[in-house]
Amino acid sequence: MEGDVVLTVRDVTKTFGPVRAVDELSFAVRRGTIAGLLGRNGAGKTTTLRMINGIFLPDSGTIELFGTSDAATTRDRVGYLPEERGLYRKMRVLEQLLFLAAIKGRRPADVRPSAERWLKRFELWDKRAGKLEELSKGNQQKVQLIGALLHDPAVVILDEPTSGLDPVNVVLVRTILKELKAEGRTILLSTHMMAEAEKLVDEIVLIHQGKAVLAGELDDVRASFGKNTVHLTFDGDGQFLAGLAGVAQARIETNVAELHLHAGADPQGVLAAAVARLRVTRFEVASPSLEEIFIDRVGAGAESGGRVAAGEAAS
Amino acid sequence: MSKAWAVFKREYLEVVRKKSFIIMTLIFPFLMGGMMFVPALLAVRGIEGKRVVVVDGTGRLSEAFAEKQGAQPFEGSPFPDLGEGKTKGKSTSQVARTLELKTEYVAASGDPRATAQPYLDRLKAERGSGERRLDGVLVVPPDAFANPDAKMTYYSRAASDFITQERLGGIVNRAISRGRLAGRGIEPAEADRLLKRVELEGVRVSKSGEEKKGGEMSFLIGFLFVALLIFPNLIYGQEVMRGIVQEKSERIVEILISSMPSLQLLGGKVLGLAAVGLTQIAAWMVMGGLMAAYTGGAAMMAGINVFQYFNLGVIPWFFVFFVLAYLTNVCIYAVAGSVSNSEKEAQQFMGPIMMIVFIPWILAFPILQNPESSLATVLSLIPVFTPVTMFMRVLVAEPPIWQLTLSIVLSVATVYVFSWITAKIFRVGILSYGKRPSPAELWRWLKVA
Repeated sequence: MEGDVVLTVRDVTKTFGPVRAVDELSFAVRRGTIAGLLGRNGAGKTTTLRMINGIFLPDSGTIELFGTSDAATTRDRVGYLPEERGLYRKMRVLEQLLFLAAIKGRRPADVRPSAERWLKRFELWDKRAGKLEELSKGNQQKVQLIGALLHDPAVVILDEPTSGLDPVNVVLVRTILKELKAEGRTILLSTHMMAEAEKLVDEIVLIHQGKAVLAGELDDVRASFGKNTVHLTFDGDGQFLAGLAGVAQARIETNVAELHLHAGADPQGVLAAAVARLRVTRFEVASPSLEEIFIDRVGAGAESGGRVAAGEAAS
Repeated sequence: MSKAWAVFKREYLEVVRKKSFIIMTLIFPFLMGGMMFVPALLAVRGIEGKRVVVVDGTGRLSEAFAEKQGAQPFEGSPFPDLGEGKTKGKSTSQVARTLELKTEYVAASGDPRATAQPYLDRLKAERGSGERRLDGVLVVPPDAFANPDAKMTYYSRAASDFITQERLGGIVNRAISRGRLAGRGIEPAEADRLLKRVELEGVRVSKSGEEKKGGEMSFLIGFLFVALLIFPNLIYGQEVMRGIVQEKSERIVEILISSMPSLQLLGGKVLGLAAVGLTQIAAWMVMGGLMAAYTGGAAMMAGINVFQYFNLGVIPWFFVFFVLAYLTNVCIYAVAGSVSNSEKEAQQFMGPIMMIVFIPWILAFPILQNPESSLATVLSLIPVFTPVTMFMRVLVAEPPIWQLTLSIVLSVATVYVFSWITAKIFRVGILSYGKRPSPAELWRWLKVA
């Protein structure tokens, strides 16, 4: 299972004035995987990605890409989608894409065919001669994404890749990222949308206040939280579920509930109680969702060192 | 290097394709020409249609005003050469024709002041009082021929109307001189020869033995070239600053910095905009050349050799010093841009930068007039001022070779050091959104980046 490591972040610290944005962070990403850097706003995700891209230098610690910490030799093999749109507003779409490839060392003539392919795939072909500022926010995001991929990078770093996209495009991006993975590329993306990450990533690094609080393969991480979480979908008012016997923690939303049970509690009892008062359309006993884990570990009131996860030990 | 080329191309094309660039390139020469010639033309043209009454106490000047009306070049004209065209009897120059002055001659028998009174009243009267309005009244005292201390008086509403005043004075004086000479038994033709002004021509001597005409024309051309050297620097220096601020505020800079070394980024950007400036100047030179060929052709036909005033050998120096001046200034602008977070903030740096850029411009007059003075020499060897001042000296004189060499070496060294520092500060400043880098941080980047 141990693939070769493409990216290593080791004991990296970065401070901005009095703020420790990243605090002795360590993690590694293996070749051909999709890794998710998860965390709340301001957790240090973007700073970490910027350091990996050589935009910031860490105050201490090392970052190695392809086995070297010299960013100058590796940057052409990395594609980067920044968190905020980073494009020339007045530049025409296709021209802009060719420029982005050129500063990654590719000749515009060589990448033109693939630029055209990408534009067609993202339904931007008609807008190729328009100025960027004439595009909607979502379309600009798509242009930015093409810009990160056009020079055929081995490692793709995406800061919030799906922000601003509609559901159709979100699915398209997800499909593309899986294709890139299938081609053997390595993807590191940051997000605070757990449902999104859950569908996509192989490994997660959950950071909180600049520190990694949880890391490892998604399945292992989830399994480490046990198999005694009840996922319920229903019609009706489910508020009473939180008070059922055996329920240690509950998160109840409209028609959906995630109930974490005490050790030894019987999920069947919960189901019976639920069926008695609600129209249950789905019932599953599984590991907690990533969202549940996220809120548990880094949500308001979460204390560092709550539960010990297996994934943490594995990293 | 292909990355720097990509940036170069992008910056160049972005500006060159702008409508404002094309319009500016096309109309600037006309604006410039207009700015130089229109005020002078207007100053002269203002005389047209002026009506002046000459009240002559001597009663002997009627001939001067009957004959000489408008035909004589006068002293103090901004276009002495053009006035000269008239005496050669060739095509009447446009400007000379506008010098015409409508004079009404009145011989005064008694006190000229009394005779003048009704005219003075008319001078004071408001427009529309029936008779044609007067612009001035010249009163010549009866003893003008005999008394060397006699004084003429010119009355007008505008005290600043010195051109008309000078001109009238010239006409009267000439007639009086002739009259006085005639009183000593000298024939009028003889008197004219005696009174003929001797023209003064400035000639510039160079080491190669070439002789060039100097004087006001080469002075004007000097100013024109210095302006051509300085203003594109200002415009495109600001463009560099704006571009950097824009890239910062639009976050493109993250992509750029993660893709290429900052020195290449800055180099491509700066040289791209320098190329824009040179393109524009080249276009202006072609346009100027065409205009010069047209007007110069006319001038040649009139017997004036344009190349007497202008040394074509200066053009290569112009490009050398343009590039050096440009690179020096732009580095300063780039630093300002990279430590600012908004265009507004960057504008605050404009004042001090303009001061530096404009010092040679402010001192252009003394330097062009006295290119070998110690002021000119010292200034032309101080790094930041070197390119512009040394170019001024090259334009109007021949500075020693060692000084020329030293100035170029100094400039290149300055540009090198400046761009190195700029690239570093640029690298740090460009990413410090909202927060200035601390000196310690800056030092670390200087070492590492």
